[in-house]
Amino acid sequence: MVYRVLIGALVYAAVALPAAAQDAYVVGLTAALTGPPSSTYAPAVEALRLYIDRVNASGGVNGKQIKLIIQDDSAQPSKAATNVKKLITQDNVVLLVNATLSTTYAPVIAEAKRAGVPLLFAGGVCPKEVYPPADPLLFCTTAFAATYDSRAALDFIKETAKGPVRLALVAMAIPLSRAEIDYAEQQAPKAGMTVVDKEVIPPPTPDYTPFATKIKEANANWTFSWAPWVTEVRTLEALRRLGWQGDYLTWAHIEAEGELKRLKDGKLYVIGSNALFQDKLPIHREISEAVAKAGSKYPVNQMAEGWIAGMVIEAALKAAGWPADAKKIRDALETVKLDTKGLRGGPIEWTKDNHFRIRQYYRVYRWDPAKSEIVQAKDWFAYDVK
Amino acid sequence: MQLVVNIIVLAAIYALIACGYVLIYRVSRVLNLAHGELMMLGAYLLLTTGSLFTGHPVVAVAAALLLSILVGACVYVFLMRKMTGEMVLAAVLTTIALGILLRGVMVLIWSAQQQYPAQALGVTNPAIALWGGARISTWSALLIVVTAAVYGGLFVFLRFGRWGIRMRAAGQNPLLAAQRGVNLHGVYALAWSLSTFTGGLAGMLISLDSGLTGTMVIIGLKAFPAALVGGLDSLVGALVGSLIIATTEVLLIYYVNPLLADVVPFLVLIAMLMVRPWGLFGTPEELDRV
Repeated sequence: MVYRVLIGALVYAAVALPAAAQDAYVVGLTAALTGPPSSTYAPAVEALRLYIDRVNASGGVNGKQIKLIIQDDSAQPSKAATNVKKLITQDNVVLLVNATLSTTYAPVIAEAKRAGVPLLFAGGVCPKEVYPPADPLLFCTTAFAATYDSRAALDFIKETAKGPVRLALVAMAIPLSRAEIDYAEQQAPKAGMTVVDKEVIPPPTPDYTPFATKIKEANANWTFSWAPWVTEVRTLEALRRLGWQGDYLTWAHIEAEGELKRLKDGKLYVIGSNALFQDKLPIHREISEAVAKAGSKYPVNQMAEGWIAGMVIEAALKAAGWPADAKKIRDALETVKLDTKGLRGGPIEWTKDNHFRIRQYYRVYRWDPAKSEIVQAKDWFAYDVK
Repeated sequence: MQLVVNIIVLAAIYALIACGYVLIYRVSRVLNLAHGELMMLGAYLLLTTGSLFTGHPVVAVAAALLLSILVGACVYVFLMRKMTGEMVLAAVLTTIALGILLRGVMVLIWSAQQQYPAQALGVTNPAIALWGGARISTWSALLIVVTAAVYGGLFVFLRFGRWGIRMRAAGQNPLLAAQRGVNLHGVYALAWSLSTFTGGLAGMLISLDSGLTGTMVIIGLKAFPAALVGGLDSLVGALVGSLIIATTEVLLIYYVNPLLADVVPFLVLIAMLMVRPWGLFGTPEELDRV
């Protein structure tokens, strides 16, 4: 008798539980929540989770809750692949989200394509497949953009520099960062700048001074760095300790706002696509309230990236309607036109061929020692993404 | 001149970390592969004590160091003690598991974001001008001084201290040492405490100089070739090995290709293992037992 009851319970669980799961939009996320690079991704995931919780608390989308399943991959490709397999086959997700190192992309993309589930990159760098002509299944909300970032940075340096530019370039020894800095090295002479040094710094570096010494000895008056924040900021700090007085332009990762306040360096510029929280926009207040309410351990000024991803997911699910499968979500993503409410310089707009955005906006900030606050060094300027 | 300063700073970092590997291996023949994590834990402990004792950096550092010693003792008492009498390989695997556990716990407690213990302590890091136009940060200079003091202190302790002599005896022949009344568990616990103390000290000084992220674990691993090149059971070897690895690394950054700096220390290590597997100052017969 007991045996039959157990069998019955198992059969019921097997049939009823997936059915219950289908009563919500199931979204699966693989992210680097632990491991060395997690400082870049964990806050974005936290913001996304807070946004989804907020949507669910206000009744969900189309009357249905969003079930966000988060899996840690420690930035390891094998773990990311396992996560995605599990999310697809066991959790029946209709949308996958990736917030981790680019080294995980190949296996994750392969799994998503095999299952026909759309994959959104949020917090990690956008892969080339989201640029025109875009892969039908891949989308990206992340702020930074290969080649466009260097173009914008070099244009800003050219506009700001008061004399000839002797440029030093700094990358981390990871493929993406190196490729971008190689591109900047090619473009700089066309903009009339002389590249005097290029440093490709290995990730686990205990002391950045040897690299900074070379930049200083090369007599650079500008340095541009496009790398994970740890490399960007530690190179700058090593340069300053050596007495280097030049201007330093770097990509505004999520840590940038807090770091500008910490460093209080008038010659440090950060270029990025997200408005900093010191702009005090209504959407910033909204995020701040949500973060304070949830008691998050991450600073609110690191939350924009994940919040934007949440906004996109909500918009896509709303457009897909209910019931929604992976194909409907994909079709909805392709028509997204999201007003970011000032978090970005313009909307996130996707088309059939462009899953990155039609226009990429940039703004440059710096610390103003006279005012003792962060100021805009250059307001929004944009490039068409072709 | 700056080149020399850069080499000395890097060598001091590696030497301070490497002596932790040596202390445990020398006494118990166990290769502690959680040393990087224990080092990072020391830095996180400083972050916490810095917040608790705001405005009192000396108290905060002292409290963090005491906690590091306590952590080392606890690791032995609650974990490694159970490995006594087991295969050395089992003990090494246990340290790998400990490392994974510590990494997860640290993210849960302190989050994954970049932290600055110097900010919590309210201290700055001004540069010091040296002769020949070279400069060094205050914390790097202190790291060199501390490394010298640690090695000097350990030399005196192991040579003349009662417990130091017991540690050497336990390392050379544990059975005989036990028969002569040496408390082996006490000696091993002391070795783990000292190792975690020096590792924690390294983690604290590095994080005061340049901040604290999860990459510190990898820095801990980078000091491993230095310990092996010098000889895993020799403190002098750890010093010399650190100097060799740091010199190689900095010269490659300067004159060849910065990317090689990440690879060549391990090439030096492989070359050393092929020519002299016990390291420059290691003991040949000891290595047979790894």
